[in-house]
Amino acid sequence: MANIAAQRIKREFKEVIKSEEVAKCAIKVELLNDSYTELKGEIAGPPDTPYEGGNFVLEIRVPETYPFNPPKVRFITKIWHPNISSVTGAICLDILKDQWAAAMTLRTVLLSLQALLSAAEPDDPQDAVVARQYKENLEMFKLTAKHWTNAYAGGPFVNTDCDEKIKRLIDMGIEEHQARVALSSYNWDLERATEQLFS
Amino acid sequence: MASSTEETIKDSTGDGAQNPETKEDEKKDDSMFECNICLDTARDAVVSMCGHLFCWPCLHQWLETRPNRQVCPVCKAAISKEKVVPLYGRGSTKQEDPREKVPPRPAGQRTEPEPGTNFSGFGFGDNSFHMSFGIGAFPFGFFTSTFNIGEPRPHAAPHGTQQHMEEQFLSKIFLWLAILFLTWLLMA
Ligand SMILES: [Zn+2]
Ligand SMILES: [Zn+2]
Repeated sequence: MANIAAQRIKREFKEVIKSEEVAKCAIKVELLNDSYTELKGEIAGPPDTPYEGGNFVLEIRVPETYPFNPPKVRFITKIWHPNISSVTGAICLDILKDQWAAAMTLRTVLLSLQALLSAAEPDDPQDAVVARQYKENLEMFKLTAKHWTNAYAGGPFVNTDCDEKIKRLIDMGIEEHQARVALSSYNWDLERATEQLFS
Repeated sequence: MASSTEETIKDSTGDGAQNPETKEDEKKDDSMFECNICLDTARDAVVSMCGHLFCWPCLHQWLETRPNRQVCPVCKAAISKEKVVPLYGRGSTKQEDPREKVPPRPAGQRTEPEPGTNFSGFGFGDNSFHMSFGIGAFPFGFFTSTFNIGEPRPHAAPHGTQQHMEEQFLSKIFLWLAILFLTWLLMA
């Protein structure tokens, strides 16, 4: 019974690498150790979202009590999304918490995360700053999310205005990611971002 | 035959790495009978009212893990230990792995065939000894069971098992209740 977690991941792993989503390069799973407890997941940013064209890497830890309890998943790739922490990559998604069901698999988890990228739930946020921007200034949110997708997930969208502002801050001695976070949090208002960074 | 099929299933899914290619087709057919929790061929199989198949040990552990949220692991329909139906395949009498830790699988709810008035029969009647149906249809249950005396009737559980003893015990209780009930009817 104790080994049910590893046995199941083994089966799931075989299943997921044969799935049509893998064939379409929409999702991907990789084993990181022989005991089937640590895996690397990957999801493609869904089309018609700010994440389109990006590739998002996930850390998947399988608890001993799997599948009776959900896997622990977080984003390794930095992402700007109301339900994902822009700092830690922690995810707020019901099926990874109390709505987990034992018949769910790595494949369904990855597909659910992909769906989360398509449909954010700003009223149940993980990242308050992002959620506020999403609700108050959707266009600004989309621009920021696209920029992050470009910067961290290999997305094709380049915003020269964002890049220039970041460069300005870097020239002032600010680290790139820190600069990006400050600007993103202040709707790309260079003045306010600078103020916050140096206060 | 059933048991040899079962062995093939176990071979092909048990330790997959050995010969995954040759049994690929069989595996596809068998996946219908895979437990929705461990993804292996269901052992001590039970099926929920919503129709989803599980190993009893797997489902039991799921229900234990979330005592406050008893839902089907597949469709999230309400589910309970009392309302799962065990599946008895032909080979199922010689289960090798009873798993001491897990309580015995819930018993099948067996109702008696309708005797007496209609011999062509509707198959299964509602007039059983079982607690769940017994009380409502009570006097019927009593009479039909009296008519039943002397007729051979198949037993739901083999002699000597816990379940058998319980059934015997229950039927005695019902008999006594029936007598009490009739006495009450006569008095009233
Ligand atoms: Zn099972
Ligand atoms: Zn169900």
